[in-house]
Amino acid sequence: MTADLIFVLLALLTLVPAVWVAFSRNIVHAGFSLLLTLLGVAGLYAYLGADFVAVTQVMVYVGGVLVLILFTVMMTRVPQNGRPRHGLDRFVPAAVFALGVFGLLYKTITAVEWAASEGAVEPTTAEIGTNFITSYIFPFEYVSLVLLAAMIGAAILIRERRPEETEEPAAPAPETEEEVAS
Amino acid sequence: MELLHVNIPNWSDLATHWRPEVMLVGTFLLALLGDLVVRGRRPAVPFTVALVGLTMAGICAVRKLGVEGGTVMGDLVVVDGLAAFFRILFIFTGLATVLFAWTSEEIMGKKRENKGEFFALTVLLTLAACVMAEARDLLMLFLSMEAVGIVSYVMAGYMRGSLRSTEASLKYVIFGAVSSAIMLYGLSLLYGMTGSMQFEGIRAGLQTGDVNAFGLLVAVVLVMAGMSYKIAAVPFHYWAPDVYEGAPTPVSALFSVGPKAAGFALMIRFFYTTLAAGPDANASAGLIAQINWPLLMAVISAATMTYGNLVALRQANVKRMLAYSSIAHVGYLLMGFVLLTDAGLQAILFYLLVYTFMNLGAFFFVVAVNNHLKSEHLDDWVGLGFRMPWAASLMIIFLGSLTGIPPFAGFAAKLYLFTAVMDRQWFWLVIVAGLNSVISLYYYFKVAKAMFLMSPPEGADMSPLKLHWLQYTVLGVLAIPTLALGLFFGRFKGLADRAIEMMTTGL
Repeated sequence: MTADLIFVLLALLTLVPAVWVAFSRNIVHAGFSLLLTLLGVAGLYAYLGADFVAVTQVMVYVGGVLVLILFTVMMTRVPQNGRPRHGLDRFVPAAVFALGVFGLLYKTITAVEWAASEGAVEPTTAEIGTNFITSYIFPFEYVSLVLLAAMIGAAILIRERRPEETEEPAAPAPETEEEVAS
Repeated sequence: MELLHVNIPNWSDLATHWRPEVMLVGTFLLALLGDLVVRGRRPAVPFTVALVGLTMAGICAVRKLGVEGGTVMGDLVVVDGLAAFFRILFIFTGLATVLFAWTSEEIMGKKRENKGEFFALTVLLTLAACVMAEARDLLMLFLSMEAVGIVSYVMAGYMRGSLRSTEASLKYVIFGAVSSAIMLYGLSLLYGMTGSMQFEGIRAGLQTGDVNAFGLLVAVVLVMAGMSYKIAAVPFHYWAPDVYEGAPTPVSALFSVGPKAAGFALMIRFFYTTLAAGPDANASAGLIAQINWPLLMAVISAATMTYGNLVALRQANVKRMLAYSSIAHVGYLLMGFVLLTDAGLQAILFYLLVYTFMNLGAFFFVVAVNNHLKSEHLDDWVGLGFRMPWAASLMIIFLGSLTGIPPFAGFAAKLYLFTAVMDRQWFWLVIVAGLNSVISLYYYFKVAKAMFLMSPPEGADMSPLKLHWLQYTVLGVLAIPTLALGLFFGRFKGLADRAIEMMTTGL
């Protein structure tokens, strides 16, 4: 009974702000409601006994990704020519699509007999750590290569042009050199 | 003692089964380091390192062909016939790309930056593609696809000054993220249904348990969606023309072959292992039939090839036309998937082998032209056959092979695919594919016509264009198998056959 109550509360914590994220016209409000949704998801992980995932969720999504989103909102300009439209012609197809996906997933989730995990709920962190250096050492090492690639990529894409690499002296819009040429 | 029954990783696997890949990792790191230490106008150090490293890895991979493979450090990655076949393909693609990029103005031009990193990233993309062909666990499946994705996003946006290139990168990232999310949902459904992350465990779970056909269909369709994105099949192809057109041409060449073939390798292993379940046809017929897999694949295949060919007809930009043509070729390749039979998969492998040579050749010719004309527009290509006769003649070979007309390798490859499908009475699909080949004849030969038959306007520049000697070499090396495989395909078809046999018997 108490467990059910906790679940309902966590689900509400996830869903109500999620609705707000989808419908809010103010992107900062949407960002902040995402905070609550992500916390709710972390709560659900903890409720299911996935303690490590719950902590990771808080650290990565609440602590990292969300801050990044807010920074991005802060640093991007609002489009000058007109606001995005919110007419019925946008709303109806989106609603139909969303309801269709929901129906499909609902039917799947209720129809399938899920493979249940056996055994009592135990702390998982230690076991995950052991697995990382034994059975799962390959992906663990491979991920480090992927992250290195991501880092190099970020450096390549955002690094400022060095003066000796640009031929023309600080052209007004170096971004369009190719467009002009073609 | 907890640790006693724990799986201790076996590091020596790296030296036995995984040696080419270890070389690639080393090459990647050395190329990066070399680029840091020695900086010059042209990045000779990373280029040389990548060249030597890829060559050594390639030699090693060829020598490992046919040698008994095995899993690498745990159960998540396996080097078997399929992986051994594909990694040679990827290393060859990487090597050709490195050589051609060295002569490309789009990568090496005066205003370009980060020239050294390009070679390191090409090596890394090669490695990531190899791992994709080796994954046999949902975790590695996702991780390897993301690795290929991340490197691809960067390479697509390589020409930082260009709006088109930046747009290509952005589109690639957004489509990639969405399709990854869709695929992850499908993977989570599969894991939930079977309780296993390993492909074989999933198969076992699906065969023993009371599988809900509807749930399985949803899961398979979601996973298929993510993989369709990687290989650019309809309806997940939207990114492909823009990315191929916007990315530097050597990168487009790499994209149209490397990640695409890796996607096919992953699909072959995943769907064959989970759904078709080995040589025992009776056990497998149930699962495939239950979710009507053949019809699903046949419709995707027909839609992909028809869409690609019809839109390619209207393109005046050769690079964009080749992008749509590569979508059409995915449609042909998917024909081999319709029944998940050995013959079909072997035909896919052989087609991919041929496709690698001919498509790389066609894209590289665009690079060579682009160096001089700075244009991929067909109107500017008029009379090109007289300005660079040798290279243009080679281009005719590649175009002929892409169309699939008899003396060239493309014909043999198509023949195998069509017969594999015909064997199982999918006549309408073969007819659609045949009609599509006829359509493709028109737009491939529009290029040939522009180069050789149309007379250039008065006063046009008709001075001969000289190619870099490396460009002649690479184009020539690509043209030889494009011709030879059309005449002596038996031996190489045998390679493809053995690769599939080794995978299926390994189950």
